[in-house]
Amino acid sequence: MPPVGIWIDGLIQSCTYMTMAFGMVLVFSILGILNWAHGQFYMMGAFVFYYAVTAAGIPFPVSLLISGVLVGGLGILVQKFIIERVNIPSAQGALYVTVATIALIFFFEGAASMIFGMQDKGLAMVLPGVLDLGSFSVSYQKIAVVIFTLVIMITMYIVLNHTKVGLAIRAAAQEPNAASLYGINVKRLSLLVMGIGCALAAMAGGIMAPVYIINPFIGGVPMIMSLLAIVIGGLGSLTGAIVGGLILGFLNSVVAYHLSYFSEVVLFVLVIIILLVRPQGLFGASRK
Amino acid sequence: MKKRYSIATILLIAGMVFGLSSIASADEPIVIKVGLPTVLSGPAAPWGQIGMEPYLTWIELFNKEGFKVGGKTYNFKLITVDDKNTPEGGAAAAKQLIYGDKVKFLVGHWSWNFPAVSAVANQAKVIFMTRTGNEAVPGGLYDPKKMPYVVFANPSQEQFVSDLFALVDAFPKYKKIGLLDCTIGKGPGWDLVEAALKKAGIRYTNEWFPFGTQDFAPYITRFKEAGVDIVYVAGWVGESMAFAKQRWEMGYKDMKVGHSGPFVSVGMYNAVCGQDAAQGFIGQYWANWDFKKTTVNPKYVKMCQDVMKIVSKKQGKPFVYTGWIGWLPSHLLILAQAMQKAGTVDDTDAIMKAIRGGTFDSTTGKWTMSGAKAYGSPVVFGTPSALSMIQGDKEIYLSEHPMKPLP
Repeated sequence: MPPVGIWIDGLIQSCTYMTMAFGMVLVFSILGILNWAHGQFYMMGAFVFYYAVTAAGIPFPVSLLISGVLVGGLGILVQKFIIERVNIPSAQGALYVTVATIALIFFFEGAASMIFGMQDKGLAMVLPGVLDLGSFSVSYQKIAVVIFTLVIMITMYIVLNHTKVGLAIRAAAQEPNAASLYGINVKRLSLLVMGIGCALAAMAGGIMAPVYIINPFIGGVPMIMSLLAIVIGGLGSLTGAIVGGLILGFLNSVVAYHLSYFSEVVLFVLVIIILLVRPQGLFGASRK
Repeated sequence: MKKRYSIATILLIAGMVFGLSSIASADEPIVIKVGLPTVLSGPAAPWGQIGMEPYLTWIELFNKEGFKVGGKTYNFKLITVDDKNTPEGGAAAAKQLIYGDKVKFLVGHWSWNFPAVSAVANQAKVIFMTRTGNEAVPGGLYDPKKMPYVVFANPSQEQFVSDLFALVDAFPKYKKIGLLDCTIGKGPGWDLVEAALKKAGIRYTNEWFPFGTQDFAPYITRFKEAGVDIVYVAGWVGESMAFAKQRWEMGYKDMKVGHSGPFVSVGMYNAVCGQDAAQGFIGQYWANWDFKKTTVNPKYVKMCQDVMKIVSKKQGKPFVYTGWIGWLPSHLLILAQAMQKAGTVDDTDAIMKAIRGGTFDSTTGKWTMSGAKAYGSPVVFGTPSALSMIQGDKEIYLSEHPMKPLP
């Protein structure tokens, strides 16, 4: 049985993947696309958060919101001026979006390198210290990650289930044509959803910034892991994204504790098995 | 009569001007272009970029005197091209430098594209001064017959082992050393490292993490359960900082952490790890004025200290990175002395002959090129293997284990 520290670590990883995967699935549900630059929005969120805290001296919860709003706004611009234009209604549309968002990975990483520099940055001074619980200790930064994730998940639940916008998003996700007939502007909704998805990635990057390091290349792994999470949970399922992220975070930590670097192999084998046995994932709708 | 005087005056002045200019051109140093393929973009760029200012400043100081070969004075001119730390980037940079910029030598190289740069350099008969990295030698890529113009001016492979000896010197009561590297660094080089450690009776255990890992809790726990009290990371600066921070948060404050590679800035470690977790962090140290077991030519010590002052003034803040001292200046000193010994700046084979087995006075001490048995050619320079650790917002000397000449 792994020690408590490993379970705490698993929980922290789960929180990141859940938030990232949730944003990714939300975008996929409405826009029908996978945003391959989702990890770079995470990275930019970390940078905005870093400068808001260090350069502007803004308190960290407000900085987190600022990173979400600014990067979410950037996501809307990307949707409006790039994705909408390349996503032509044809068989090639999805491919063009894929190519465009992959190109954005390199664009954002290059731009961040030029603007922010390539040297690692850190925010160890945000919520410093640890909570000593005898046989193990946990940093306040990690406790903040768990609280943040809970707040985000509860907020998203309320927004999606108890607001008009949420109802519209769910309607458009299930039946976009029918939703249009009922007066929902799906195009405008797509912009909003892209903004929310990118804002979630940015805030995940922001909340993780004090825990890990910040540089222009930190987005790759969270992106891949959130992709794995939504494959496990089921592409298009918001519940699946949460459960997938939760499973993946704990698995990553526990398997690495037992098998060291083989953990990566185990995780990818698991995903392949899921794709073979249950291609729709744990919570995705069957194609039959 | 007046006209005759005027003509004579003009001729006299012209003669003096011509004569003076001839004397001046005889003394004018001849410039030798050297190429530096290095990392100026991508994740490793900070280590490429931070060396540029001190390199150029050091060359400026060196060129004041220059070096003499066959009665002529020579200066170095550095041309840098981004090698992107990729094989394609390395080959392109080497080609640009050799065929485009017409450099005579490639120096200061440390990135992960040894095979690509080496192939271009050897084909062009250009001496290539680099390091003995995991991918360069133990992987079987280095072949002294096929690569006669390669010089390992930094024995990084051996330095890693010497660093561990220096760690043991500093902490003789250690329990076990944990060696941490990324899976992409896993290669035959590790077999050599482990063989050396076993031979020396050093207690150790290994862990490898997948590329991109930021969460080290599983590895920290595994090390702790294995009884490790010192963790030494093979490079991977960002990961080392994350490791140090996380082991502190997990309550393993007695676990010492260090990495091969010098500190770019202590401030970065304090910012990423937190001031408390960064204390005692160990790194490589090239401040030749602090060496205790390696004697360095006082002239070179002063030059290096002057460079630190000049760069600090230029940048408007204290420049504390010492990593540059062990690389390009040392390579250029080896080259200059080899050219003097060979009595030529053009005959590459004669210069290589002078390098092989030669003794050279450098910014990191006087070392004899060794490695005849181990590498098939004595082209491996030595290293002081000095370590420092973070104390407050400074790095202080920790220990030193000068490398023994390789058989």
